[in-house]
Amino acid sequence: MAGNEQHDVIVARDVRKTYAENGVPVEAVRGVSFTITSGEFSALVGPSGSGKTTLLNIISGLDSLTSGEVLLDGRELSAMSGRELSDYRRDSVGFIFQAYNLIPVLTVEENVEYVMLLQGVAKDERRERVHTILTELGLEGFAHRLPPKLSGGQQQRVAVARAIVSEPALILADEPTANLDSKTGAELLDMMRELNQRRGMTFLFSTHDTMIMERARRLITLKDGMIDSDTGES
Amino acid sequence: MSMYFKLAWRNLFRNKRRTLIAGIAIGVGLASLIMTNALTLGMKDNMIATATSSFLGEGQIHRQKYRETGDVDLTINDLDTVTARLTDDPRIKRYTLRVWSYGMIASPVNVSGISVVGIDPATERYLSQVDDAITDGEYFSGDNRRDIVIGSKLAEIMEVKIGDRVVLTTAQAHSGDLAQEMFRISGIYHFNVEEMDRGMAFVRLGVAQEILGLEGQVHEIVLKFTQSDIGMDEKHPFWSEYSEDGNEAVAWTVLLPQIKVAFEMSDLSTLIVGIILFAVVSLGIINTLFMSLYERMFEFGVLRAVGTRPGGMAVLILYEAGALAIISIIIGGIIGFVGTYILSQVGIDYTGIEFVGVTFRKLLYPVLTPSQFIVFPFWVFLFTVVVGLYPAWYAARMTPADAMRKSM
Ligand SMILES: Nc1ncnc2c1ncn2[C@@H]1O[C@H](COP(=O)(O)OP(=O)(O)OP(=O)(O)O)[C@@H](O)[C@H]1O
Ligand SMILES: [Mg+2]
Repeated sequence: MAGNEQHDVIVARDVRKTYAENGVPVEAVRGVSFTITSGEFSALVGPSGSGKTTLLNIISGLDSLTSGEVLLDGRELSAMSGRELSDYRRDSVGFIFQAYNLIPVLTVEENVEYVMLLQGVAKDERRERVHTILTELGLEGFAHRLPPKLSGGQQQRVAVARAIVSEPALILADEPTANLDSKTGAELLDMMRELNQRRGMTFLFSTHDTMIMERARRLITLKDGMIDSDTGES
Repeated sequence: MSMYFKLAWRNLFRNKRRTLIAGIAIGVGLASLIMTNALTLGMKDNMIATATSSFLGEGQIHRQKYRETGDVDLTINDLDTVTARLTDDPRIKRYTLRVWSYGMIASPVNVSGISVVGIDPATERYLSQVDDAITDGEYFSGDNRRDIVIGSKLAEIMEVKIGDRVVLTTAQAHSGDLAQEMFRISGIYHFNVEEMDRGMAFVRLGVAQEILGLEGQVHEIVLKFTQSDIGMDEKHPFWSEYSEDGNEAVAWTVLLPQIKVAFEMSDLSTLIVGIILFAVVSLGIINTLFMSLYERMFEFGVLRAVGTRPGGMAVLILYEAGALAIISIIIGGIIGFVGTYILSQVGIDYTGIEFVGVTFRKLLYPVLTPSQFIVFPFWVFLFTVVVGLYPAWYAARMTPADAMRKSM
């Protein structure tokens, strides 16, 4: 649950990531520091290859960092085991990717329910929360459909439903609107903004999309793996 | 967790063709194992039956040293006591007495060295198949003391037919004097076993004893048990009970030691077939699991991203391996059963072929046992899951970000 009092959700200090591409080192992130406080609605922007995805993956423990420090809710990320990181993501982070977010063999309902299953939420509560969230996102009729039978916009809404259903403190969204037409994208963003305002959930996007940039309260611009500019929270 | 099982099961049916092909491949492996085993059992049964019922019996009693030397003087001690005991022994179903000697058989055309066996036709017919193998003439009908039954090959060499006269010359026991006697061919048998068809002749027990000067004495008692496992068990107390007073009782497996080697060899070959099959099968499983793993990398990344633990990923893959095993076992069980059943109805014709001194005289029928459908599937299941550990470990330890990038 996102608390009312502001606190640092993510603290990144001098984060560096070097990939070894066929023996040639590629510095994807080169000394990035920033802090995301609760309730933010911020975006990492910058040209392709500037390191946005890498950074999102690092701060969620999906990827390792080469050097630097990341604190998640005050906990040192590199000190956490794979299992602890998994549990952290399960309980505190909601993910939305550009596409293919959903498990194709699970129905919409099962996809949304998945995290709560991992959390061990009782069946009745699970069903109720899934129902509520699907209704809220205009997906009532699709509970028993398989993802491949949905449009791209519908699939992204299901992904949002899954990300928010357990009300994590932080939502990480890597180009969530890239595959959507502008109308659908705008609807989705308004919905997320509403969640941000109403429930105080923290959002961190990575995007090229001007729609997101317009709506974001803070833009952290990356260039060649470094922060080029940071508007700070407005 | 049942959710992982649901996921695993559905994932397996995502690419139905691949799952089916893998299932058939593993299933055929299982079916081959079942059929190999069924055939081996059938062959053992057949060899045992052939070996024991043709002529050897399930056990024999001789005077000590007789087996090694074949000395005509070494007849069974206290024959009456022994036969009395055998008659009262509930473990004994039948027995018959034989007298053996070497001799010369002469026809107007030819002379040949042979083994002459004196038998009691009435009891002998229960312990050997000489009577069944008669192709010409009769098996000691009536009571003509000059009847002699010889093998087909010998008849050919001697150029004799039913009713023809032959002269038998043997050395008498103890004295060593030569004895000669005229016989009339009353029956010709064809066993399809070279030694028996060209090297043996049968006469009545009493006549043989008379010629050899061995009245009331025999060289060999051939046994048939009520429970045939006594014959398979060289350590059974029965053998020591009857190995006394200078006599020696031995199981048929002692008389035909090659057969045990043959059984061990066929067990070994089943094992080798099994190992090869399992090796092939395991490559199939690993391949299938990795193929489905690679094409779902992004999904695995997603599962990790939303909080599935590394161990959860491993469990998922292991469940997939398990589900694949179950499908394969069903397929393999059906193929194995149907295949073996058909063969067991038709039979396999190895008749006339000799293997370690036993010539198959009947069709070979594979033997189905419940354990083939319990033990082998269990192994396949266990094996599949063990083999699945590698992809499971791989899935558990891959970096989610790498996984997602790989399938983008
Ligand atoms: N696994 C990898 N191995 C080698 N280089 C990598 C790897 N992943 C990313 N890179 C490199 O790191 C840099 C940053 O990549 P990243 O995906 O973070 O950029 P991005 O800002 O998200 O770009 P986009 O807007 O196109 O998504 C790029 O130069 C990329 O080629
Ligand atoms: Mg990116």
